Amino acid sequence: MRELKPWLQLIFKRPVRLFAGGALMFATLLSGLSLLAASGWFITETAIVGLLLAAGTAATINLYVPGGAIRFFAVSRTVFRYLERVYNHDTVLRLLTDIRVALFKGLAGTHGPGRSGLSGAQWLSRLTSDVDALDTLYLRLIAPTALAGLTTMLVLILATVLFDPNTALWLTLVLLAALLVATASVYLATSDLAARQSTRQDDLRTAVIEHIEGFPELTAAGRTGKHAAWLMRQAHQANAEQARVDTRVGWHLAGSHLLIHLAAVLALWLGLALFQAGAITGPVLVLLPIALLGLAEVFAMLPDAFGKLGATMASAARLNRDCRKGQRPQVGAVGELNAGTALQADNITVKYAGYAPLFSHFNLTVSSGERLGVIGHSGSGKSSLADALAGLLPLPHGSLAREACAYLTQKTVLFDDTLRANLLLGAPDASDTELWRILEHMELADRFATEPDRLDTWIGSSGSRLSGGEARRLALARVLLSPAPLVILDEPFTGLDVDTRARIAKRLETLLEGKTLIVLAHGPDALPGTDRVLSLSG
Amino acid sequence: MAEADPQEVRRWLADLAKGSRVWIRSTVIAGTVAGVATVIQMALLARIVHRGVIEKVAVADLAPLFFSLILVLVVRALAQGAQARFAALSSERVRRVVRRQLHNHWQATGPVELAQSSAGTLAREWIDHVEALHGYFARFLPQMFLSVIVPSVILVLVFWVDWLAGLFLLASAPLIPLFMALVGMGAEKLNQQHFDTISRLSGQFLDKVRGLTTLQLFGQTAWASELIRERSDQYRRVTMKTLRVAFLSSAVLEFFASVAIAVVAIYIGFGLLGYISFGPADELTLFSGLLVLLLAPEFFQPLRTLSQHYHDRAAALGASSEILARLNSHPYAGQAERAAVPTGSPERIELRSVHKAYRPEQPVLRNCNLTINRGDVVALTGPTGGGKSTLLHLLAGFTVPNSGTLSVFGQAPGEFRFGWLGQKGFLVHGTWADNLRLTSPEASDIAIETALRNVGLGALLGTRKDGLYSPVSEEGQGLSGGQARRLSLARIFLADYDLILLDEPTAGLDSDSEVFVLEALHKLALAGKTLVFSTHHQALLTLANRILLVSGGEMRDA
Repeated sequence: MRELKPWLQLIFKRPVRLFAGGALMFATLLSGLSLLAASGWFITETAIVGLLLAAGTAATINLYVPGGAIRFFAVSRTVFRYLERVYNHDTVLRLLTDIRVALFKGLAGTHGPGRSGLSGAQWLSRLTSDVDALDTLYLRLIAPTALAGLTTMLVLILATVLFDPNTALWLTLVLLAALLVATASVYLATSDLAARQSTRQDDLRTAVIEHIEGFPELTAAGRTGKHAAWLMRQAHQANAEQARVDTRVGWHLAGSHLLIHLAAVLALWLGLALFQAGAITGPVLVLLPIALLGLAEVFAMLPDAFGKLGATMASAARLNRDCRKGQRPQVGAVGELNAGTALQADNITVKYAGYAPLFSHFNLTVSSGERLGVIGHSGSGKSSLADALAGLLPLPHGSLAREACAYLTQKTVLFDDTLRANLLLGAPDASDTELWRILEHMELADRFATEPDRLDTWIGSSGSRLSGGEARRLALARVLLSPAPLVILDEPFTGLDVDTRARIAKRLETLLEGKTLIVLAHGPDALPGTDRVLSLSG
Repeated sequence: MAEADPQEVRRWLADLAKGSRVWIRSTVIAGTVAGVATVIQMALLARIVHRGVIEKVAVADLAPLFFSLILVLVVRALAQGAQARFAALSSERVRRVVRRQLHNHWQATGPVELAQSSAGTLAREWIDHVEALHGYFARFLPQMFLSVIVPSVILVLVFWVDWLAGLFLLASAPLIPLFMALVGMGAEKLNQQHFDTISRLSGQFLDKVRGLTTLQLFGQTAWASELIRERSDQYRRVTMKTLRVAFLSSAVLEFFASVAIAVVAIYIGFGLLGYISFGPADELTLFSGLLVLLLAPEFFQPLRTLSQHYHDRAAALGASSEILARLNSHPYAGQAERAAVPTGSPERIELRSVHKAYRPEQPVLRNCNLTINRGDVVALTGPTGGGKSTLLHLLAGFTVPNSGTLSVFGQAPGEFRFGWLGQKGFLVHGTWADNLRLTSPEASDIAIETALRNVGLGALLGTRKDGLYSPVSEEGQGLSGGQARRLSLARIFLADYDLILLDEPTAGLDSDSEVFVLEALHKLALAGKTLVFSTHHQALLTLANRILLVSGGEMRDA
């Protein structure tokens, strides 16, 4: 339950909506229950009066109240049901928004490298299926449980008033057992299995992706069959576990059904004795068992929801672990920046948690307006150093002070949005003229001037509508637009051919006028003009 | 990939169902037993009420009826439980069969063509799409039979008891599918219209999360979370528009069920009072009246359940369509059958008039003849797109020629094990040992350590706490591209292959990795292995004892 707590708190931030949705569900259930109970009452009443009339005894019956009630409940059940479904699905989608935003804010508070431990596919499932498990928590679990409890209480009150406390007591015992079978007992019987199955599914996804990525090597080694057989076994095991969960849920559903129907039989049995003792009338005798039968519909929703609770908790735990942990990295101890200095790193250690440091006792001073080149082969920790300088990696040791910076990461990241939105990230207030000017410098202006939507051209997901070189130049344009006085570029020219690279490197000189530049690359030929070059080894 | 034809999809699903006949049938039988038990239960209830209230039979004398009622309830519960059990099992085989079909298709497609689709997409097909079939076989299909069988049983009984009440039920039943179809059609149209918007809107969220670091760097996370809220809310409004119509179909069902109960109740009431004088109405008793009333909701219940499972059908059809499109995709049209076992020397690799074209008008290799001797170290060089990779893929058996014959040491390519090093190293989520035993399951710890040392990963391994048994990547820090490729190379060291094919083994590597790879290849060459690699790298060209220039679909010794 601890894992669910933050999500429950989030869900209950909309109490009025939840209450209204619950009330609509309750009205639907009550209408259905009342329709049957009133019909049963009516038929019994008419049967008795009919016999009296046939025997020639004077008897009267009010046809309007029960007739009207039956018609009313028939319509209200339909109307409430429709309203309830529309309203509650709207609620679920609102909760989805809430959860997404909360998740995103949580993620925004973590630092980059901690997140990259998950593969893209794991992210996808985390953000879709795990979130789905949570946004229906209210509709599938909380509301039905509350309603089952409430309706049961109502029926028991009815039993006390119409029958006698003795009957009500017996019914309470049986219905309580039914409620337990439909809820806690299902949960206990399935939670471990469901959680394990949900984890297994997650692991399986990673394994399948690895299988496909390694397909050439596995084929060459003649191992695809063996490896696939292993995957099949994993998948089969997950299915077998799921079948066991489904079966257990099924038996519990049948069990709670049986108990509710037994309660109806019990009510009839005890009621008949009361009837024959003259304590209650025939129609009232019929009303209660029928209402009890109607409870089965309320209870029917529960076992399935509680059978999934174990998996839901596993989802919540995964989300808590991956999306809510960690703190936004502190930029070391922030020292004072001397005048004329753009960046000062004193004795810093660059390392990932749990790993040997990549750099320790690292000192670096970059004066304002300087052009510093850093060269190091891949694996030398060059990008990690850039991350640390930009403040993406927490510094366990040393102090770092720097001016505000714009950072072009080694990986080109563009958003599934318009060209304009992608550029404006760097400088939210930039005018169209400024945007076109920078595109001109990056030799992208012609490319987009011919597009019908120009600046509003949609850039596909991860810039898929652009070539690698175009995407890189766009990312570079975005960084150059930023007004930050310090610019860090990691391999700025990846994917650019030699001629373009030379022209753009030249233009950088003017574009970075008055700014400080730190540029990292694998070799001197991938650097623009620099004042000083630092070479990283090992 | 082209969409699969809906009729073909249905045929495919029907074929799959045949294999699970036993379980589906058992589910239907158990469901029918539960349905019949319900009918008997209601009859007993009505009987008890009638006997107790109208005939004034003493409670004690009704005990046998009560006990039969309890017995019927137990039978019903058992049948319900069994139904759940059978349903859970009914798709296990289906899923296994489809997974095997997909895997066989991957095998037949070969690594080259398979790489055209993203690993994520293929994994989603293999896992999620196949899982989507479960609801169809376990819930929808049996329920489709039950929603015919159970209401029919009830209808027959109600007709027998009171044909006029039976008529009421019968009249409302055919209207339900009609209205549901009408409303469903409307929803489908709306759905189509909004589908693009919906998928784009929800994709936005994933996209922003993927680029979160960039957003952090530009200090735009607050802006992005506001955008997510906005777009997500827009998604809600679009979805609700569809749902408001879609839910009408269940409202129709609900309406008919409610009205039928109300009409039946009022008819029976008036009949019992003697107000209705035609038809069977004056023969109504409390027993028959109550029985009809209690059965009326049960008559609609199977249909309501079916409509709840309707989305299982939609999901299964959508998933099947994509699975089938994958299974039907023939990666290279006009491809020759896998060549018959060639007769060639066991000491040579021989290509005779090999012709390969992915598109007929653009041959990649034109009538190539080539002989490579065992133990040769061959470098393939030439411009990008000149056919180097295709030649390697042909030698590997990852793809087959349009015409001509290939024989590798007297065997057809792909018939034996060999070493392959692609441009991307390949890691699995696990320990160093797991990764190396992937291709050589029998390898000893010592052999693995030696192999890793041979590719210069010994030092890195030394820094890991549990040595070979520590995970390759922990806490989000994996290996660099160069290290990953060296790990793949270590697998080749471990396995002792005769033939080793390498696609640009040093491209994009840092100088450290480059040195290690060169050294490792040198060792392999000294060990008498046959090496064929494509490269532009000078040091590698020096390593080779034969350099082939592959250009414009032709090759010659350089």
